[in-house]
Amino acid sequence: MRRAAQVFTARRIITMNPSVPYATHVAVRDGRILGYGAADDVAAFGPAELDARFADKVIMPGFVEGHSHAFEGMTWLDPYLGYFDRRGPDGRVWPGLKGIEAVVQRLREAEGALDDPAAPVTAWGFDPIYFGGPRMVRADLDRVSVTRPVVVTHASGHIMNVNGVALHQAGFTQSTDLDGLVRDADGALTGELLGPEAMGRVRRVVGGASMERALDVPGLRRFAGLAQAAGVTTAADLLNDLTPETVASYHMVTGETGFPLRIVPALAARSYGLQDGIARWRELRRQSNDKLHFGLVKLVVDGSIQGFTARLRWPGYHNGAPNGMWYVAPAQLAGIVAAYHEAGAHLHIHTNGDEASEAAVEMIGRALAAHPRLDHRHTLQHCQMPDEALYRRIKALGICCNIFANHIYYWGDAHAALTMGPSRAARMDACGTALRLGVDFAIHSDAPITPLAPLFTAWCAVNRRTASDRRLGPEECIPVAAALRAITLGAAYTMRLDHLVGSIDVGKFADFTVLDADPLTADPMALRDIGVHATVVGGYVSAPAA
Amino acid sequence: MIVVPIPGPIPVTVIGGFLGAGKTTLVNHVLRAGSRRYAVLVNDFGALNVDSRLIAGQDGAVVSLANGCVCCSIGPDLGGTLATVAARRPAPEHILIEASGVSDPWRIAQLVKLEEGVALDAVLVLVDAAAFPEQLADPYLTDTLERQLARADLVVLNKTDLAPPGLAAAAVRRIRGDVGLVKVAHAALPDALLGGALLGDSPPCAASRFHAGPPEHGFRTWLWDDPAPFDRAALAAVLDGLPPSVLRLKGMCSTGRDGAPHLLQLAGRRWSLTPVPAGPTPGLVMIGTSVLPAADALAALFRTALLTKTAVPFPA
Repeated sequence: MRRAAQVFTARRIITMNPSVPYATHVAVRDGRILGYGAADDVAAFGPAELDARFADKVIMPGFVEGHSHAFEGMTWLDPYLGYFDRRGPDGRVWPGLKGIEAVVQRLREAEGALDDPAAPVTAWGFDPIYFGGPRMVRADLDRVSVTRPVVVTHASGHIMNVNGVALHQAGFTQSTDLDGLVRDADGALTGELLGPEAMGRVRRVVGGASMERALDVPGLRRFAGLAQAAGVTTAADLLNDLTPETVASYHMVTGETGFPLRIVPALAARSYGLQDGIARWRELRRQSNDKLHFGLVKLVVDGSIQGFTARLRWPGYHNGAPNGMWYVAPAQLAGIVAAYHEAGAHLHIHTNGDEASEAAVEMIGRALAAHPRLDHRHTLQHCQMPDEALYRRIKALGICCNIFANHIYYWGDAHAALTMGPSRAARMDACGTALRLGVDFAIHSDAPITPLAPLFTAWCAVNRRTASDRRLGPEECIPVAAALRAITLGAAYTMRLDHLVGSIDVGKFADFTVLDADPLTADPMALRDIGVHATVVGGYVSAPAA
Repeated sequence: MIVVPIPGPIPVTVIGGFLGAGKTTLVNHVLRAGSRRYAVLVNDFGALNVDSRLIAGQDGAVVSLANGCVCCSIGPDLGGTLATVAARRPAPEHILIEASGVSDPWRIAQLVKLEEGVALDAVLVLVDAAAFPEQLADPYLTDTLERQLARADLVVLNKTDLAPPGLAAAAVRRIRGDVGLVKVAHAALPDALLGGALLGDSPPCAASRFHAGPPEHGFRTWLWDDPAPFDRAALAAVLDGLPPSVLRLKGMCSTGRDGAPHLLQLAGRRWSLTPVPAGPTPGLVMIGTSVLPAADALAALFRTALLTKTAVPFPA
């Protein structure tokens, strides 16, 4: 005999399924969606257990985050130093720190809690761009400790501040010849370190870089907790070397019935030689399960715009900074894209600057000319700067975009003033253009770079407000319905999971996000304030942590 | 001349250059020849295509060859990999690092300088003589190529059999007018230019007090074996004023009134003078391009730096 259906009822169910856009009841069997509609519609499925606990709530398809990093589950082992309030995996809200003094104070508290006298004090999320001038210097961190190293990683992950002990242990002195050691007017080291070389040495010699711990099972659970609290039921782990140890951790957690998250890891191509990477991708594809979906491959072409390491087309950086870095040069990119494309892989390509996006588009175009493939869904990740002409090429080639909408709020003011200038900043993260041209797109957080919170990301794409409450390029705003699609079906499409998640349709996983209010009728400026009441993954209900 | 190993840290040579410039070919030559106990750090071991019959064993990421050389993928942590390789026993006699085709090799050199037990020998940047002018004109590539050359000690113009090197050489000169430029084909760089045996192992000839050797691979060598001590400041002035045709200079010399022994190493514009325990016979070997100044001119120049001689201005 077939098991009885489980029926959830809600004030309104927004299905994101255009054939039946709204419902009040959804029937679930074996963790999958059996049907939906009004009470009468689901009665046809026979005797059912009616679950009315969400009767006054609004149900949506579970949110899909197309660009996040599971290592956020590890960063919370260390104190958070960001400017904005942020909720940790235990539900505790860490108040934002509004100045260097407050940062030093939090670090001193962390120092006081350490038992091992040699252990470093490590912390993350620091972003002095909001302090309007002063940078942190070595003397600030020497007030935290003069006996143990203090290592602070910035929000971007591309900059560090360290104290004198850490400088000494790393062997950095005034006479050290190393790019990326920031100096004061007298040539003395300020303790600020830029770029992978200087930071990498601190990581190895001093230890304690918050964003570099290997992902383990407890870390995955913490990440899943953060995702669950934000209403996310499917999340990318968009850059992972996918060692056997990591894959074993994934298998362990995703094998549990109550684990509240589907994980979509992307193989970091740079961690392997070309042929080894393709072989590893083939091997992993056979190891997917319902909550673990291998198949994506991640390439990183340039750096970050706010770090001035993204590759920009003319006229380059607004403040005259030299052009950024190719992490992979165009000539090399051509070979890598061609090889993975020909093997059948699904590429997710980090391109922040428009020159990097253009190069990626060009190389995908060449790969398609050599090996035509319909429905490849290669995706530009971040994709912050393409103009309309480049978007037309993106559309013509069937490329998807996952747009970093959160940047508008967090760094939009800096982009207008320093990196891009007013005209390009007004069309950065151009969801409006993508929507008008019919480009398949998603929007993302890049957690932990910005917080995992799809409703906030949707709020950014809808309202385009910066942290100083300036509206950046109103023509690129998108309607709420389009933003909701971007955080559900849009993201699922970029990960080739739109047949399984992202909308409420028969046969798909019973993954829902339960909201306190209806985002389609709420004030668009209140979108980010709508509470996530619970999530459902495969029919299994999880409530947020306290 | 007595063969005496020069003491000190393991020399590290960084091989840079854009994709296709010949870095992997060069590394393959070095590994196959096995003229010394080389350790080679590469980006992608698979790309090397090392003959499996040459492989004697594998220990983690380190592949040992039958001829005593080892090869290792760099991985995400260059400093850590370098420390691991340098700590091997028997210790490598020389370490080569193949930079990625898009990186600035000087930034790798900076990391080398921070590691203990190793010393930066030189940064060599390979340039594809056939493709370079076109690569440089590609707006996607211009600044990457310029950054690679900006701090090179020596530039190796490769594939000169495929294209007359004039255009590429002129393009390099526009970026770095002062840099030593070596022209080769098939990435066949003489061992001496890789920082290998300049002195102590197999000097080409030691019959005369100073001597310009016959052109070998189109290069010229010159020897200095006057044991008299140099005046340090005068020597520095001589070294700083050497023309770009001087590619390398290496050997033992003494400086100052106490005649303290030093190891002198020069690659392109960069040189170092490191105190060493007494022992090795003094003598310097220079290798340069075919337009290296004549032996007597070089001898006259170095004589001006001797402590016992009155320094005379070098004719411009």
